[in-house]
Amino acid sequence: MTAEHMTAEHMTAEHMTAEHNGDRTYDVVVVGAGVAGALIAKRLTHAGFQVLVLEAGPSTAWTFDGYTEHLDEFYTAASKGPESAWPPAGNAPQPDTADVRSGGGYFVQRGPNKYGSSYTRLLGGSTLHWLGVCLRMLPEDFELRSRYGVGRDWPLGYDELEPYYREAEWEIGVSADVAEQEHLGIRFSGGYDYPMRRVPPSYSDQVLGAAVDGMEVTLGGEPFALKVRNYPAGRNSIPRGDYQPVGAVDERGDGQALAADLGQRCAGNTACTPICPIQAKYNAQKTLAQADRGNLRVIDKAVVSKILVDPVSGVVTGVEYQRYQDPGSPRHTRHTARARGYVLAAHAVENAKLMLASGLGGANAALGAGLMDHPALYAWGLSPSSVGAFRGPLSTAGIDDLRGGSFRGAHAAFRFDIGNDGWRATTGAPDTTVAAAVTGQGLFGASLRGHLEATLPRQVRFSVAVEQLWSSANRVTIDPRYIDPLGNPRPVINYHIDDYTLAGMAAATDVYKQMFSRAGIEDATDSGNSGWFPSAGYNGRVFHYHGMGHFAGTHAMGISAADSVIDADQRSWAHPNLFLVGSGSFPTMGTSNPTLTLAALSLRTAEKMIKELGR
Amino acid sequence: MNTESLEMARLRDLLQAAVELELSTIPPYLCALYSLWPESNDTARLIIRSVVVEEMLHMVLAANVLNAIGGEPRVTGREHVPRYPHELPDGVVLDLLPFCPEAIEGFLKVENPQYSHRALGADHPLLAGRRPDVHLAHATTITQRPATIGAFYAEIIEGLEKAAATTGEQALFRGDPARQITRDYYYAGGGIPRPVTDLASARAALTEIIDQGEGDQASMYDSDGDLGHYFRFKQLKYGRSYLPLDDAGTPSGPEIDVDWTAAYPMIANPRGDDYGDPELRAASDAANRTWSGLLRQLEAAFNGFPEALLMAVPAMFSLRDLALVLLANPLPCGDGRHAGPAFEWAQDR
Repeated sequence: MTAEHMTAEHMTAEHMTAEHNGDRTYDVVVVGAGVAGALIAKRLTHAGFQVLVLEAGPSTAWTFDGYTEHLDEFYTAASKGPESAWPPAGNAPQPDTADVRSGGGYFVQRGPNKYGSSYTRLLGGSTLHWLGVCLRMLPEDFELRSRYGVGRDWPLGYDELEPYYREAEWEIGVSADVAEQEHLGIRFSGGYDYPMRRVPPSYSDQVLGAAVDGMEVTLGGEPFALKVRNYPAGRNSIPRGDYQPVGAVDERGDGQALAADLGQRCAGNTACTPICPIQAKYNAQKTLAQADRGNLRVIDKAVVSKILVDPVSGVVTGVEYQRYQDPGSPRHTRHTARARGYVLAAHAVENAKLMLASGLGGANAALGAGLMDHPALYAWGLSPSSVGAFRGPLSTAGIDDLRGGSFRGAHAAFRFDIGNDGWRATTGAPDTTVAAAVTGQGLFGASLRGHLEATLPRQVRFSVAVEQLWSSANRVTIDPRYIDPLGNPRPVINYHIDDYTLAGMAAATDVYKQMFSRAGIEDATDSGNSGWFPSAGYNGRVFHYHGMGHFAGTHAMGISAADSVIDADQRSWAHPNLFLVGSGSFPTMGTSNPTLTLAALSLRTAEKMIKELGR
Repeated sequence: MNTESLEMARLRDLLQAAVELELSTIPPYLCALYSLWPESNDTARLIIRSVVVEEMLHMVLAANVLNAIGGEPRVTGREHVPRYPHELPDGVVLDLLPFCPEAIEGFLKVENPQYSHRALGADHPLLAGRRPDVHLAHATTITQRPATIGAFYAEIIEGLEKAAATTGEQALFRGDPARQITRDYYYAGGGIPRPVTDLASARAALTEIIDQGEGDQASMYDSDGDLGHYFRFKQLKYGRSYLPLDDAGTPSGPEIDVDWTAAYPMIANPRGDDYGDPELRAASDAANRTWSGLLRQLEAAFNGFPEALLMAVPAMFSLRDLALVLLANPLPCGDGRHAGPAFEWAQDR
């Protein structure tokens, strides 16, 4: 590994060389430099394969100085949404949660419900602004159809994926204690523990745990005991054994990489989303930096626009891409990259969009279908005493006992995240709390301070992630009327939240009300300015929901080509040298955040590819 | 009292002085670091930070060696907390200054005793009336002759070797290993503190202090491949970075953006007593209490409760925030100087 392989400038130089050399053939072309693409590139390059990674967005966060500029972008942004540190490149546009409010933006939303999530097209992908939750899926999530008669079954089970979950936890660097996570049927192989100890629970986790732990609720006639548990986090904590926590990416050579020891532990900066200021939270750039750099070429600002296929065999023969220099100008040059194997790791929506734009939708209409998310509710209230709000990572624990159970035959499972950031996400506190006190109550001076000191630390917020099933009614399509500046199609989204999920929302609402009542929390949910969240009605109740950024299902895996896009190895049924990876591969998503599972699947696919490509 | 215990007492005293010496270098760097305007001087910020965290590592390493021979490192109380101006054994005087060329000159001198600079006289405009008396470092009072920091540590290593030879290595390193600070609770701070349990690990720890700090000026890079402290500061002095082929002279690489005006012009060697304004006084008292609380946590960590470092992290954030409150405020006298953190020991909690 040499220093000159490591800068964004170099990526450009490398690209020019490759172009001038004409059609250089690689072993594998990977489309997308997010977590899935980075993990596969790391594994393949270490196995000796020549890998080209094409990233549609710029690589502005790659250098330490560049990352710092994104941090400044966040500091100066008026609104601190998930995208505030990561402005879009015009030629690789991306959805923004503010679009849901405005009705405009990258997605063409056909309804009936709004799809509320966003992602980032940049080297590092959406891991640049994820929260870092690394829950495994439950064994029953893989067998939903056979166990409960709803959703779909996976073509592989939990036990088959378990070794890859372990690998993914070490690649990402997950902090958790097996002793706390071993429930709901989740099994760990003997002697295993996470690479780092759990992140210490926040004060609010402890206060709520004291109030809620052991409380019993009934769902579908079955009793469940609730417990506040830390969730596994992709944030650095105290290492176990000889594990070395991976801090900030700082690749300046010649003794100048002075920031590399930043972020070796989470310091509780409370800005996980949209940007961890010290890179204590995992992002995919860390994995890319660990690839065997002699075997890796990364070209950024390279938008893959078409997959070229041999019409007889279905074999992929190349990918066309558009290279731009200035993200603000649609000027670009066209190129083709060729390899033996191809991996689409561009995102659940982008993978589907690219396949459709290449005329590879297939006959079974499965491609693009099944778009899922975790439509999530907020529940918020005032605790009788301080919970120390606005301190620590945005969230460190949750209540996940209702992720599994026979009630899933009737309605969706759900999970509560406990926020450490007061009502920031729900009402815009603390600013709005101040504004309301000044303009609403006419407070100032000592009485204003007293009011804020008495109020803000008591703000409690839950996020309630609700399961959604694969449905052919929910899909990503393209329409020649809607194109982006480079002439590529924009995603057209049909999205509906069905009764299964809505009934889950209703059950979740009943449970949070019981918890609030037990903990003496005065419910403030939906009182006040939550008006911009999209809503969905069910049995006379209205739920305001938001997206969790958990796109999935658009190229689901299955046991046959008849009703799925890929097999258990994430290989396209129709194109034997093409792999579609990421959460688009999920036939069900349960209630776990998708990153850890898609990372495990990617590592499994990398292993299959290494075997197959030989060497 | 037999000679063995006299020798041991001397060794412990030297190591205690080493802990204080490393501690005393931290506030001057923090003043320069925190005086930088937000979103300015990114490279300078990174360089000063990278050096100050290594000084923290050195303090931990010195405490580990002291603990290994059964000592009890102290960093609280008036007799152990550094006061400024602060004179080191080699005659260098540490002042608390904001980010300015004079501060960098001082840092260059601290990091390389051979560096010839015009020492700031008490009549320098920056110091006029701000250097009434100089406090001698404990290390300065117990060394028989003016000595470089390197020579100071060499005496400790020699003493350890002698004591190991006379009393036996096992008898010398009889400290409780549970008192060692390891990477469990110390991180992101210039390296990994190794536990000290015998002569070899003690020598390695002290050599790392000398290496990273004053160092071997023949090489520009330390054993980790990082540019030495002295050379990092030279980059700021000249506003240029070193290229791989540069020799130890003037750097010839790309320009570094150094903006001397983008820093709060803190008064030199601030003291709580300087602040007649009650709000500034209260802010200074709060900063001093937080500094003292942090030192109590460090002392607990060095004396059998290494997990106390967990809570020292938020304390460091608080200290920074309180320092920024002071630094952002001009003094009411109207001479354009700003307040700053005094880093004084506060007896009351």
